[in-house]
Amino acid sequence: MPRGWRGLKNTPPPMVRFPSHELEEVRVSTVSVPPVVDPTLDEPPATKRRDTKAALIMVAPAVILLLAFVVVPLIAAGWLSLHNVRLNSGRPATWFGLQNYTRLLTDPEFYRGLANNFIFAIIVVPVQTGLALGLALLLNRPLRGMSAFRTFFFMPVVFPMALVAVIWRLIYSRDTLGMLNAFLDWISFGHLGPYDWLGNAATAMLAIIIMSIWQGVGFQMIILLAGLQGISPSLYEAASIDKANRWQQFRNVTLPGLRTTLIFVVMVTTIFSFRLFDQVWILTQGGPNDATTTVMFQAVTAAFSENNVGKGAAITVVFFVIVLLITLIQRRILREEREVS
Amino acid sequence: MSRSRKLAAGAVLVAAALLTAACGGGGDSGGASGGQSAQAGSGTGEIKVWGHQGEAGEVTALQQAVDSFNSSQTDVKVTLQLIPSNDYTKTVQATSADQLPDVLEYDGPLMSSFVYDGKLAPVDGLVSAATVSNQTASVKSQNTYPGDSKLYGVSMFDSGLGVYGNKKLLDAAGVKYPTGLDDAWTADEFQDALVKLAAVDPDGKVLDVKENYGGEWPTYGYLPIVNSTGNVVVKDGKAEGNLNSPAAVKAVEQFAGWRQYVDPNTDDKAFTDGRVALSWVGHWLYNPYAEALGSDLVVMPLPDFGAGTKTGQGSWAWGVGASSKNGAAAGKFLDYLMNDTNVAAMTEANAAPPGTTSVTAASALYKPGGPLELFSEQLAKTCGTNPPTESCVATPRPITPAYPVISQQFSQAFLNAYMGADAQAEFDKAAKAIDQDYEDNNGYTN
Repeated sequence: MPRGWRGLKNTPPPMVRFPSHELEEVRVSTVSVPPVVDPTLDEPPATKRRDTKAALIMVAPAVILLLAFVVVPLIAAGWLSLHNVRLNSGRPATWFGLQNYTRLLTDPEFYRGLANNFIFAIIVVPVQTGLALGLALLLNRPLRGMSAFRTFFFMPVVFPMALVAVIWRLIYSRDTLGMLNAFLDWISFGHLGPYDWLGNAATAMLAIIIMSIWQGVGFQMIILLAGLQGISPSLYEAASIDKANRWQQFRNVTLPGLRTTLIFVVMVTTIFSFRLFDQVWILTQGGPNDATTTVMFQAVTAAFSENNVGKGAAITVVFFVIVLLITLIQRRILREEREVS
Repeated sequence: MSRSRKLAAGAVLVAAALLTAACGGGGDSGGASGGQSAQAGSGTGEIKVWGHQGEAGEVTALQQAVDSFNSSQTDVKVTLQLIPSNDYTKTVQATSADQLPDVLEYDGPLMSSFVYDGKLAPVDGLVSAATVSNQTASVKSQNTYPGDSKLYGVSMFDSGLGVYGNKKLLDAAGVKYPTGLDDAWTADEFQDALVKLAAVDPDGKVLDVKENYGGEWPTYGYLPIVNSTGNVVVKDGKAEGNLNSPAAVKAVEQFAGWRQYVDPNTDDKAFTDGRVALSWVGHWLYNPYAEALGSDLVVMPLPDFGAGTKTGQGSWAWGVGASSKNGAAAGKFLDYLMNDTNVAAMTEANAAPPGTTSVTAASALYKPGGPLELFSEQLAKTCGTNPPTESCVATPRPITPAYPVISQQFSQAFLNAYMGADAQAEFDKAAKAIDQDYEDNNGYTN
């Protein structure tokens, strides 16, 4: 018998005291936090046991998938990063110690990639969230054919990024056949351009940012739209009775009502923006002069173009730690704000 | 026992099992320098063959060769499996040596990696001496592993680079152009031609270097620039002082300076539409170009950056799987595949330079006096793995197991320099990365 089975707590489990409709709620909460199965309870009632079993079964798919696709790869990446491993090589991996890490942390290109990741995130997160909010507000009106507009704005999200990037390559092409250059040429009567959007270090990152926002904004818009529709119309009614104008309604009804949704959107956008890869691979291959190289791009080229799996694994481990830290800090800040308000 | 603990124990077991599954697979089938030999076997029975699914014409030619081989004799039966060309190399890389078929196709520059990984067996002794002696000098050098100087494959066809010109546009700009290998443009003459052409061109973009190609193109298409300065990427296991030598860097800088004259060719029609007068590309566009320009098409060698004009070489080739138990039968099939009928049918279908001397001599395109004589002339003068000199023209991509790293590093450094970065810094960085890779793998000697 494990120790603590005959514990000191003799109080009966709380749920038996609850009326039946509240019991449901308690069950739900047990399911969502399964590890808190208290083994110190004396005389566990049969219902409690069945609940635990149900909880374990229900949590199993998530746990198994997380183990298989997050925990195990992470452990494997940690192991690989400490070895000299070549892709598809018949030779056994050899111990490399922290060599991959010391090389990585002294490699200026890695820091360049990291800086580019931050530049991308710092611009994309606020702009994309703001734009998504604006679009959601616009599309939350009872107008005829509104669903057509919503579909229209959501469409870029449905297309795979690779496909979108190929199309934007034609838009950004540096000759006069490039759609953007052709357009500028046309509105300026031939005075502007042609510009080398992707070949110029000053504009390449900006070009990628713009296309990424265009592609991604529909996703955040849909989530915010759902959030908007969750705000009770009676609140707006009450506000208008209080003679609040549109701006005041937005500040005092819409924004507080959207707070949780916005926090979610900001966090998801941050994580997405650190994953920047497809656009870079197709549009610029990290160039010109490393202006658009990103950490993900470096990890993929190290592992799959240079067959250096150990180096690729080390990059992903370092990057995982960085993104985890950012997410934790963000959570901290946003939660504090929530508590203050 | 508590449930949570049971669960935790189970999780650890699952994790451990998955981890071993993820890390295993490779096995310890590594070999010493060079590959293992295949067993000769009885020379009869069934053999499996893997080929890449190229263009429709190539597939038909290959299928026909297999069918006629099977019906021409009863000893050996070949089953051909085609794999889509985009996945082909990855499939071979991901398959362990003992799972590979008796005969497999491979992309030329990856031969060394496959030999190093113990996946290919030498074909010496399996294919007939007549087959080997009929292979052109260039494919023979491409298919020979420097680690043990053995031949690991035979080729039906090869490849080559050149500059295609639009005669009408060249004449209109008053540009004199070379007529063959002997009077190839020097880099400076090429630059003068660009300036003259740009002066009379509406948008000043007069050259196409296939900026729209991705993948391995930069290594294939632009490495001859470095070779044309007399340098190779790696000499005696060292890139430092070779890839980033002053002459190589200067040549790359000069090429980067021509970017202002280059049409980005987003629609891949710059040359056929007559937007540019010059197109720097391989043999594979001869047919579409000849169709678009007719008698206005001229074929010229790449410019000479100091040590003579150079071209790339090498293409798909056929080898024997290291684990084959029927090497003799595999050799018989390869002998048959390399006969004049099959090589002629294949090169007719894809317009590539034939990999055998007998078919080259008879090829309408590549025979002496044919429109692409220049390409076969270039390939006949192969430099092999030696540092290129004035007297040789065709340079194989580095024949070493480090090729994937070299290709990645060179492409990146070259494209960065082409976009305006400091060429010396870029090539120093690339040379360092390549040298580190050699060092990490004990110079690829074991």
